[in-house]
Amino acid sequence: MAALSEEVLLVVKRVRQRKQDGTLYLMTERIAWGPEGKDRFTVSHLYADIRCQKISPDGKAKIQLQLVLHTGESTTFHFANESTALKDRDAAKDLLQQLLPKFKKKANKELEEKNRMLQEDPVLFQLYKDLVVSQVISAEEFWASRLKLNSVDHALSNNNKQEVGISAAFLADIRPQTDGCNGLKYNLTSDIIESIFRTYPAVKQKYAENVPHNLTEKEFWTRFFQSHYFHRDRINTGQQDIFSECAKQDEKGLKSMVVQGVKNPMVDLMSLEDKTLDEGYGSLTALPNSSKTVKENSNSAIIKRFNHHSAMVLAAGLRKVEASSDQASETSSTDGNSRDSDFFQPPIKKVKLQEAIEYEDLQNESGPKTIALNLKKSDRYSHGPVPLQSHHYSTSQDIINSVSCIQEEISCYKPCLTRVMSSSAASSAITALSPGGVLMQAGAQQTISQLVSTDVQSELKHLYTAAGELLRHFWSCFPVNTPFLEEKVVKMQSNLERFQSTKLHPFQEKIQREYLSTNLTNHVEEMIQAAYNKFHAWQTRRMLRKT
Amino acid sequence: MASEDEISLLVIVVDVNPIWWGQHAQREPEFTLSKCLDAVMVMANSHLVMTRSNKLAIIASHCQESHFLYPSKHWKAGDVTGDDASSGSGDGKYELLSVANDLIAEEIRNLMARTQVKGHQTDTLLAGSLAKALCYIHRISKELDAGQDMKSRILVVKAAEDCALQYMNFMNVIFAAQKQNVLIDACVLDSDSGLLQQACDITGGLYLRIPQKTALVQYLLWVFLPDADQRSQLVLPPPVHVDYRAACFCHRNLIEIGYVCSVCLSIFCNFSPICTTCETAFKIPLPQMMKPKKKKLKAAN
Repeated sequence: MAALSEEVLLVVKRVRQRKQDGTLYLMTERIAWGPEGKDRFTVSHLYADIRCQKISPDGKAKIQLQLVLHTGESTTFHFANESTALKDRDAAKDLLQQLLPKFKKKANKELEEKNRMLQEDPVLFQLYKDLVVSQVISAEEFWASRLKLNSVDHALSNNNKQEVGISAAFLADIRPQTDGCNGLKYNLTSDIIESIFRTYPAVKQKYAENVPHNLTEKEFWTRFFQSHYFHRDRINTGQQDIFSECAKQDEKGLKSMVVQGVKNPMVDLMSLEDKTLDEGYGSLTALPNSSKTVKENSNSAIIKRFNHHSAMVLAAGLRKVEASSDQASETSSTDGNSRDSDFFQPPIKKVKLQEAIEYEDLQNESGPKTIALNLKKSDRYSHGPVPLQSHHYSTSQDIINSVSCIQEEISCYKPCLTRVMSSSAASSAITALSPGGVLMQAGAQQTISQLVSTDVQSELKHLYTAAGELLRHFWSCFPVNTPFLEEKVVKMQSNLERFQSTKLHPFQEKIQREYLSTNLTNHVEEMIQAAYNKFHAWQTRRMLRKT
Repeated sequence: MASEDEISLLVIVVDVNPIWWGQHAQREPEFTLSKCLDAVMVMANSHLVMTRSNKLAIIASHCQESHFLYPSKHWKAGDVTGDDASSGSGDGKYELLSVANDLIAEEIRNLMARTQVKGHQTDTLLAGSLAKALCYIHRISKELDAGQDMKSRILVVKAAEDCALQYMNFMNVIFAAQKQNVLIDACVLDSDSGLLQQACDITGGLYLRIPQKTALVQYLLWVFLPDADQRSQLVLPPPVHVDYRAACFCHRNLIEIGYVCSVCLSIFCNFSPICTTCETAFKIPLPQMMKPKKKKLKAAN
């Protein structure tokens, strides 16, 4: 039953769990449910164990709340009170929403780190299993050398997180949906709200002024979408619209942007005018009328609006988060141009001009100075790795004799293809080439990898990895300078002995039982023996020094 | 079955070094150059008969030149004159084969007839013959119709010993063959040849040193007649262990562990402070002196 010290925050009656009626209690540290009429709680979860909660969608008949735990289990509560089910469920959900974040498991970062490392690297995982699970070395020793490497990397990466910019289409993402009967439904998420506030500080100001004392949030946003501020044609109808001021501020901002112009001397906006070949194919020198038609006027309004919006989005992206508190200087926050003016101080300007004029590729090559290779006896390379063999030296008489002999023979050469070979020669050749014959001996020996089964091979590989790890720790202790290293050496020695007895010997017995004649573990034994010898030598030297 | 489009070209390089063969004839008279040529001819005929689209070339590797025994420049395919008397035994043999055999015989007779004795040229020009073979293969592959595949291999029948002077050329040929996907097989009659072992290892061919020369044709037909695809289905002699050890530049001994100059990459068996090839000076850091430390400890005690 609930401990007396627990304070009950909320009680909800008529809550069914697993088709049983009961009561739901929300307390300061846990949520519990007991069936009707009984004193005990059959279901009780600490808030710290709950990962998240889920609710059934609004349209469904059954009003439910589901709790998902860190372990993956979930518990579902069905609110069965006819009249107040929805209210009860929402009350419970809200309370949980407030309480859960407080108890969120301050996940032990290190533990997470270790788990992640073990999951990512199967070799490491196997090593862990071999060494720590079978208690050859303790877990701290295992992690001692490894964790240091990773924590440094993570600290660096966390500090340099980039800020997320604003999508220029955030207003379009709102995507109004028709409600069926002449209404429009706008879905606003907190991301979109944040984007609106970052881009249009005027709207944020209005929000701060009016909500929550004048308008509720819902009403504010309804007015926002209804106002012509939001819609395409910002024709000021003169209505009492809280957003008409925003429209005026925007106009002001836009004008100031235009006045400021572009500070970057490398960019010339004036040359971007549309130059069309009017009547006369450019031969007319008179400038065309600069009066705008009505159509151009309405177009210019929407174009102005787009430009303003883009400028605001860019400015919001460039502005640092801290500077948003400075809302007094409207002009400096409306354009990202102000940064450019800082950038174009004379020395930087000079460098930029230089960069724009010169091309590296077209200049003379001034590569690093190299030293020429100076080979004295380069004919050595052309001999290649062919050792000088003893030639038979034939006398010139021999040569003459051989050549004339051959010439005689071939001068009367006629191919006689029916008598190339005797059958006995052929059959002895076939015997030599058949499996088991003289020429086929080398292939008869199977490689060890064919003789030994794959699981024995993989076990041997694991043994090697584990032995390698232990030996690495052992040998890194030498030369033994500090008392810490002395202790470590002794510990590693005992670790090695333990490894040998718990892992190596059973493996050897196992392969002996399988009648494998090959000595698979000789090398590992040798390595361990070398470590033992070194240890004993070090120990005797230490004794001698002490005495 | 091989598709109609796939052509298999076999180039046989026969070592006809007259000096070696002449000396050999005195030692073992039962296996002469004629018999060797007969065996090669049987092999060539068999290859041509296996598939209609098979092609053949035979190069004689002499100590003065490398000469194509087949196909000959003087012979065109349609040139079979109705001269029955000279076209062999008239035993109803496939005409291509009888013509080819006659051609080969004639060419080798001409080749030997024009041999002149020159004292300093006693080595077989094997690297040159292989290069010619590769060029021929290349030429034929360019003359194929569109859509035809060609697989080529070179079979070397080697008699005399390796010539160390041809090492560089040989290695270049081997790597060129590897790039062109040409197999080099080797059938060695007398003494093992390290260069050919390397060639076979690198290009993926077979190396065989035959114990019985009189059964040469049997070995050729058994081991070297099937082409690369078919070899994987057959049980053939296993590959030889190739000695890839380098030879030191000073003594030309084969060494397993040595010193390499980092500037000119020449290999030495002993450390010397100056590399004799590029004259770079080297210093090896000596191990730290342990003695002074021990003296200090003793003094403290």
